[in-house]
Amino acid sequence: MSVARSATPPAAGLNGRGMRITRWVAIGALVLFLAGAPSIVDSFTLAQILTKALWLGIAAASLIFLSSYGGMISLGQTGIYAVAGFTMANLVNAAGGKHLGWDPVAATAAGIVVATVFGVLCGAIASRSYGIYFLMITLAISVIVFYFFAQVTTLSGYGGIRSVTSPGLIGNPILNPVPLYYVALVASVLIFLGIRYLARTPFGLALQGIRDDPARMQALGYNVPLHRALAFGVGAFVASIAGILSVWYTTQISPGGINVTQTINILIIAVVGGLYRLEGAWIGALVFSTIDNYSRVWMPNVGDWLGPDRFETIIGVIFLVIVLASPGGLVGIWESLWDRRKRRLAPISAPGIPAMEVVDDAVDHPAAV
Amino acid sequence: MNAAPPSAESAAPILHLRGVGRRFGGLRAVADVTLAVKPGERRAILGPNGAGKTTLFNVISGEFPPTEGTIELFGRDVTHQPARLRARSGLSRTFQTSRLLLGLSVEDNLYLAVLGARRGHLLPIRLPRLERQIRERARATAEAIGLADRLGILVRELSHGERRQLEVGMAQAASPKLMMLDEPAAGLSPGERNKLTEQLLGLDPNMTLILIEHDMDVALRVAQWVTMMHDGRIVVEGSPDMIRENQMVHDLYTGSRYKQ
Repeated sequence: MSVARSATPPAAGLNGRGMRITRWVAIGALVLFLAGAPSIVDSFTLAQILTKALWLGIAAASLIFLSSYGGMISLGQTGIYAVAGFTMANLVNAAGGKHLGWDPVAATAAGIVVATVFGVLCGAIASRSYGIYFLMITLAISVIVFYFFAQVTTLSGYGGIRSVTSPGLIGNPILNPVPLYYVALVASVLIFLGIRYLARTPFGLALQGIRDDPARMQALGYNVPLHRALAFGVGAFVASIAGILSVWYTTQISPGGINVTQTINILIIAVVGGLYRLEGAWIGALVFSTIDNYSRVWMPNVGDWLGPDRFETIIGVIFLVIVLASPGGLVGIWESLWDRRKRRLAPISAPGIPAMEVVDDAVDHPAAV
Repeated sequence: MNAAPPSAESAAPILHLRGVGRRFGGLRAVADVTLAVKPGERRAILGPNGAGKTTLFNVISGEFPPTEGTIELFGRDVTHQPARLRARSGLSRTFQTSRLLLGLSVEDNLYLAVLGARRGHLLPIRLPRLERQIRERARATAEAIGLADRLGILVRELSHGERRQLEVGMAQAASPKLMMLDEPAAGLSPGERNKLTEQLLGLDPNMTLILIEHDMDVALRVAQWVTMMHDGRIVVEGSPDMIRENQMVHDLYTGSRYKQ
């Protein structure tokens, strides 16, 4: 970057190129790290931090997809991934539940399909509501699913379904966490790229139009409730993958793991990472699982109200600080720093006069020209 | 239908309201409006604030149904048809205050306007041929409304004048049969008004245009026939020249304008 900084006007492009290079180097380093993580970090960190961050990130990504592209903030994602997890866990061999002995791969597909259909139905109910009403309906979905599985013990065992059989590919993640890590990584990458692609298709662009102005989209000929319900189904599909991975990760699923606390955890992850940027899901999840694991080691005693075993308080304080500092979460903070850097470099192209202001002036007063 | 000669087509109204009224609780916003608009016609609807012009627009576009009367559009009764189906059959409208998709670029706004009148709203993949057709049409519209150099800009960053241009562009992008503009010149500078008037005069002559406008100059230059509303009712109809001469129009219009 020092070359670009010392350059004279025509080098404005160099700054841009310098930043692009920085960006690609960062992405390359990230890809190398993620691909080689099993031989870089120890197996405890791999399982407890990275794999957990990947599947929690997928759950948060389903929420961020709905909020950033559809303007729908959903608290129903935990309920939906619970439906996927419980469906799969009941169909395969396990301790508790129906243990129907299906092939784990077929059971996984069935779990995803059932949860996605459930999501479309929930979406059909919620799709005519906006804002706080949408939030309340989706919260109700999570609460209903929780009580359903807490009370219908033929489907949830007593205190959960344990020793759930995973596909042979995954094996036992407690003995060897590497295969599940790669499965979660591939799933995360596909979901990230898939959502980014979907955003540029007719379906995705129309969804963003509906986010900005549903009434205008209606007037343009779009079926707004249908579109929102199907988008909710897409979010449910993504959440169901998180549900499946969570069962493989812990080899069990219990009503205690899908309660309102978990619903709030997913929301916290999404907000900490950045509600309006997809990558924020995994960044928030990484922060969350890191603090979850290491707060017991790092955190000193502060009076008798904050200490190593007060995880909820610690994550709560971090949540408040991030929300107050940046509505866009950690990704928002990063972007504003990046923008500031860009702006600091930009004026070099037109010494004394920031280039952008010249353009703005001409636009604001076209009559004066 | 397509084979019918233009003269036969022009005989049947493209839009026919019969005794249309709309109440909001005790308020009668629109009462007993009977109106026939022929294909290719340029019609202006004038009237002081609160005359019921925008309510009439909302009833025609299907935002909400009328409480009395029937609406016939393109020869079919659409009184209870939802707005999106009317849009897909060839009706488009603008809004009095710009309602644009602020988080999307100018091109994507026009893209969605073109796509709205077609099939394939739910396509989760990009079909190269369809994309090319829609993007071409979107860019051509941007050219026609003078925003060709702003295609990649987020609408949030456009000036008020540019937003009004785009508002009209959104309505014309899908080549509708009937276009309804709700005060397109609101808040524009005199220069921008002139540009807009030129833009409206340059529209495809086969397209039917209904225009609500506060600005008499714009309305009377563009329109061939004027409907004057007051208190939810039609009080006068006539050519622009007749409207200019009409004493009641002057009383109503200038009265409401200069009383404050």
